[in-house]
Amino acid sequence: MRMSLRWKIVGGYGLLLMLIAVLGWVTLTMFGSLRSVQRDVFDEAIPQLEAVNEIIRSYTAQSAAVRGFLISSNGELLQQYSSEVATARTWQAEAKRLLSSRRDRRLLQDLVATGRSFQRLVNEEVIARARKGKRTQAFRILGQDGAPLISEIEVLGNLLQTAQRDKVAAGESELQRNSSDALVTLLLVTIGALLIGVVLAVLLPGRLVANISRLVEATRAIGRGDFDQRVEIHSGDEVEELAQRLDEMQGGLKRLRTLAYQERELEIAASIQQNLLQRSLPDAPGAKVWPLQRQANLVGGDWYDVGFSGKTLTVVIGDASGKGVGAALMATVALTVLRAERSLGTGPRRVIEKANQALKEATAQDSFTTLVYLTIDVYSGEVRWINMGHPSPFLLQRGGDDGQAGRGYYLEGPRNRALGWFDDPGFSETVVQLRPGDRLVLFTDGFLEAKAPTSEVFGEHRLAQGLSRLGRVCSSELGEQLVQEVELFAAGKLDDDLTMLVTEFYGSEVTPDGREGVAEATEV
Amino acid sequence: MSQQKIEIDIEDATGYHILRAVGDFDVYTVGTLRDSIGTMIEDGKTVVVVDLDEVPFMDSSGLGALMGGVRRLREAGGDLAIACTREPHLKLFDITGFGEGVSIAPTVEEAAKGLRDGAGSR
Repeated sequence: MRMSLRWKIVGGYGLLLMLIAVLGWVTLTMFGSLRSVQRDVFDEAIPQLEAVNEIIRSYTAQSAAVRGFLISSNGELLQQYSSEVATARTWQAEAKRLLSSRRDRRLLQDLVATGRSFQRLVNEEVIARARKGKRTQAFRILGQDGAPLISEIEVLGNLLQTAQRDKVAAGESELQRNSSDALVTLLLVTIGALLIGVVLAVLLPGRLVANISRLVEATRAIGRGDFDQRVEIHSGDEVEELAQRLDEMQGGLKRLRTLAYQERELEIAASIQQNLLQRSLPDAPGAKVWPLQRQANLVGGDWYDVGFSGKTLTVVIGDASGKGVGAALMATVALTVLRAERSLGTGPRRVIEKANQALKEATAQDSFTTLVYLTIDVYSGEVRWINMGHPSPFLLQRGGDDGQAGRGYYLEGPRNRALGWFDDPGFSETVVQLRPGDRLVLFTDGFLEAKAPTSEVFGEHRLAQGLSRLGRVCSSELGEQLVQEVELFAAGKLDDDLTMLVTEFYGSEVTPDGREGVAEATEV
Repeated sequence: MSQQKIEIDIEDATGYHILRAVGDFDVYTVGTLRDSIGTMIEDGKTVVVVDLDEVPFMDSSGLGALMGGVRRLREAGGDLAIACTREPHLKLFDITGFGEGVSIAPTVEEAAKGLRDGAGSR
């Protein structure tokens, strides 16, 4: 059963309050029993004792008054006698009301009956004789018959008093016993409550503290990188939930660790790729290449290669389909084959054939690579290129001396198929003649496919417009400014890499073999 | 990073199946396309016309997945044709050479006519 910590604490307090309530109840009960003893003694026994006392005193007084009358013939004494008779009646009625035990009531009845006998004797025998002048006779009758009746009344009264005194004594001892009982009970209940309180205070938080300690221990281990901590807690409260969350958190941390490893691997891959790409470009007379790359991810499929040998500057731009590590590996395959073959002096067509073969063998069914392989005779300005499924190069002609921008257009020509799919993708070559100041721009599809928030793509037309507009911008700035335009268009959110190579042909007046270079070229 | 969705419906036609996609074909969605073609091959639906009418954007990943589909379906004895009227896609097919050897036509019916003879007859 699940019970939150709050309810456990509330329960603990409730239990404590219950203990206090029990303590209070026991105390009240004790006082109640003391009070009942008090009632027995003060409300019953003592008034009874007083009533019986008064009855005995009254009869004794009656006897004394009559005796005095017989001696002195004083009428006041007779009145006193009558008054005492009334007093005796009053106290007898009071005693009758107060006495509850059968024995006491019978004793009272006997006393009352004896009293009546005494009064009858006094009225009928003693006073009547005294009035007839037979005082001696009356005195004798009072002595002979009255005195025993008074004695009997005294005996009965004493018997009643003894019972009441016993009751008072019993009450006193009960009071004593009860109060000591109450003390003992109070003591026991208090100790019991304290014990239960201490046990609860130690046991309940004790488990909580133990559970939390285990969690603390587990989090320490997690802090050290050990994500296999199992903390089994079945307390049914938030601590159990915390243990479960800790377990889930470890799962998350493991995934994060894996991601971190992958990220590190990716960084290594990225650094390898950067080393492959960003080596220093060769210096060539008569032409220069400005590369620019803006990667959307750590690694990507865009690549380029620039080499110079003899009078030929080779500029290759490639794009492996897809993104991420897969594309980067394909790029590496292509680049490695290309460089190896080129260093052997292999011609462009054969280099591409080899790369195609390698890519076909190495890549998955749905991967392909496009590229443009371009060679420039740095003296004559003759450009030959083979396009393998790649966007067409853009030619930006030199502007006029009057400050007019030059023409800019895509170089269309026979196109071959992408690498990695076909045994024979075709290797048709195109030739164009550059004039000094002309620039060739090679780029990857990231420029064409950059998407605006409206899902509109940048496309060939915008790219051509942009390049033409930037026709007067120097080659070192051209790529950067164009990238800024694309980023603005895509609202800073680029999904694909942007790679651009701007190759400017300056022309060289004298070739190494001493012949004149081509000063004016015409488009082929 | 954007995480576009793509919806793919498979429809039965006489002699072939139509794969209709709604959404972009790019690096984020090609997995779905690849899986759909894989499931079709498992179900014996190896003659497929992919309708790109509702695919406004396709990059090299999408194109690669389509080419992979062509290869896998042909290996399974079937074929893949493409119904497409969108200029950027047609240009991409043209530039990369994908269009050569694959039937690409404006409508599903026309594209189906260009499916390889005997494809799916097994």
